[in-house]
Amino acid sequence: MSARPETEPGLRPRQLFTALVVVLLYLPIVSVVLASLANTRYLIFPHRVWTLDAYAEAIGQYTTAHLHATSFKIALVVALISVALAIPGALAFARYRWRGRRLYQRAILLPVFFPQPVLGLALLVALSAAGIVPDWRTAVFAHLVWVVPIVTLVISIRLYGFDPAQEEAAYDLGATRLQAFREVTLPAIAPGIVSGALFAFLLSWSNLPLSMYTTGADTTLPEWLYSRMATNYSPQVPAIAVLSVAASALAVVAVLFLRALRRAVGRRRTTSSEASTLAHPARATP
Amino acid sequence: MASLDPRKAGPLAMAPVAALLVVGFLVPLVLVAWLSLMPERTFGLDAGLTLANYATAFEDGYIVPLGWSLFFAAATTAICLLVAWPMAKTLARRGSAFALVVTILVALPIFVSESVRLFGTALFLMPRGGILAGSLNALFGFQVGSILYTKTATLLGLVYVYLPFALFPMILGLSQVPRDQVEAARDLGASRWQVLREVELPNAMPGLLIGGLLVFVLAFGANTEANILGGQSVAVITKSIDQRFSYAQDWPLGSALTILVCAITAAVVFPVLERIDLDRLLRR
Repeated sequence: MSARPETEPGLRPRQLFTALVVVLLYLPIVSVVLASLANTRYLIFPHRVWTLDAYAEAIGQYTTAHLHATSFKIALVVALISVALAIPGALAFARYRWRGRRLYQRAILLPVFFPQPVLGLALLVALSAAGIVPDWRTAVFAHLVWVVPIVTLVISIRLYGFDPAQEEAAYDLGATRLQAFREVTLPAIAPGIVSGALFAFLLSWSNLPLSMYTTGADTTLPEWLYSRMATNYSPQVPAIAVLSVAASALAVVAVLFLRALRRAVGRRRTTSSEASTLAHPARATP
Repeated sequence: MASLDPRKAGPLAMAPVAALLVVGFLVPLVLVAWLSLMPERTFGLDAGLTLANYATAFEDGYIVPLGWSLFFAAATTAICLLVAWPMAKTLARRGSAFALVVTILVALPIFVSESVRLFGTALFLMPRGGILAGSLNALFGFQVGSILYTKTATLLGLVYVYLPFALFPMILGLSQVPRDQVEAARDLGASRWQVLREVELPNAMPGLLIGGLLVFVLAFGANTEANILGGQSVAVITKSIDQRFSYAQDWPLGSALTILVCAITAAVVFPVLERIDLDRLLRR
């Protein structure tokens, strides 16, 4: 029997409810954008004058560039290291069958199922005991503790969908372990790796509770916003918040664009090779 | 044979991650536990061991912020699960364009900093010139009160921030409910309530548990929501801990409170993780 979406009870109200919740989820973000379009010292909505002045001022400021640079530096390093650790981590999670795998699968989840402010404080205690002065590099480490398990899960989900027999086939054809990994496994899990790196970048970029305790004298965007929203409010604060969101949106768009580009190039390559095979059928036979 | 013995490959592949977790998670927590046994207001790790900080934690009334944190965590979990369920049922349907768009829309704010989103919530809720109050006044000419800096606002902020964490595991769980089982139950005359209890809930349970657990633990340890939206109206335990470490400079007492939070977290997390088959949940 075919599916019957029309007759299923409660579908319409459920969709309506879902749409309503999504609208509510975006109200705060819209509010930040609205608040940034003023030139008054305090928020008095609706603004008498709607202006982009706050952006003009924010963009010209050293603070804005410096905050973005610090957050970017941390997020980029976190993304690179976390992918490097999470690829083997995911193989151990989803692919290899070994004693202790069950325990490992659970242990790796613990930093995710753990209050982040508490993790940040614990790391602060550890840094102080080790005599390390916190700066952006210690924040990278703190972010890794939380991000690497998440990236491992993201890549693992991709690995579950990969048939290990493909790798076996490569071995049978004489591939070395490295070759099999590079030519077969890596391309198969590449989308997972890209998503994982993007996740890592964005999670690090937007993190507040870990950075709060582990950046020392350096300041990330979320930290700065957090400190300025309580005291020293001005329309520049929401403006910088909007800029920070736009910057992370840019990262997402860049990755999506690169992915689309690669797919388009790949498609052209296959079609042109198909075409040449058609033109010279003899060449196709090995 | 070219293929490495998987029994050896596993430990080798997980070694870097394991090292990170030992140095970045286990060791700090052991240090905090050790520090919690030091005399009050000391910074060294070599004084005599004492349980005085735990006694102080109970005598000085830290049970109150602990209680509030537990209340917020429980309330946030309950509300998130109730709100997420109908959404998850809509979004778990494969191949629906509506579901795809909405799923992406719900996922995106996770990557917008908590600072920005809670800041926005505060701007929205602000009295008089706030986005909501100002708009209502300008459009309809009436004044509304504000819930900003109350416990209600704190709870609202928690639900707002952690809803996606309940939703996505729930979608994962619900997508494993076999459709033909639901159809069969309906054809055999099961009511909606029976379908829910006998078919959907048992199948979706791992996703529900993971989602509920995530929300509970994260909300239990959250402090930014209470700081930004709750103002002075409520002290949660992580705020108390933060104050012990910063203003009060009493790290041992702060550590003792941290260990209490860890103990409660562990008591909730371990039994649930024990029950869940991760291979089955993550395999699509």
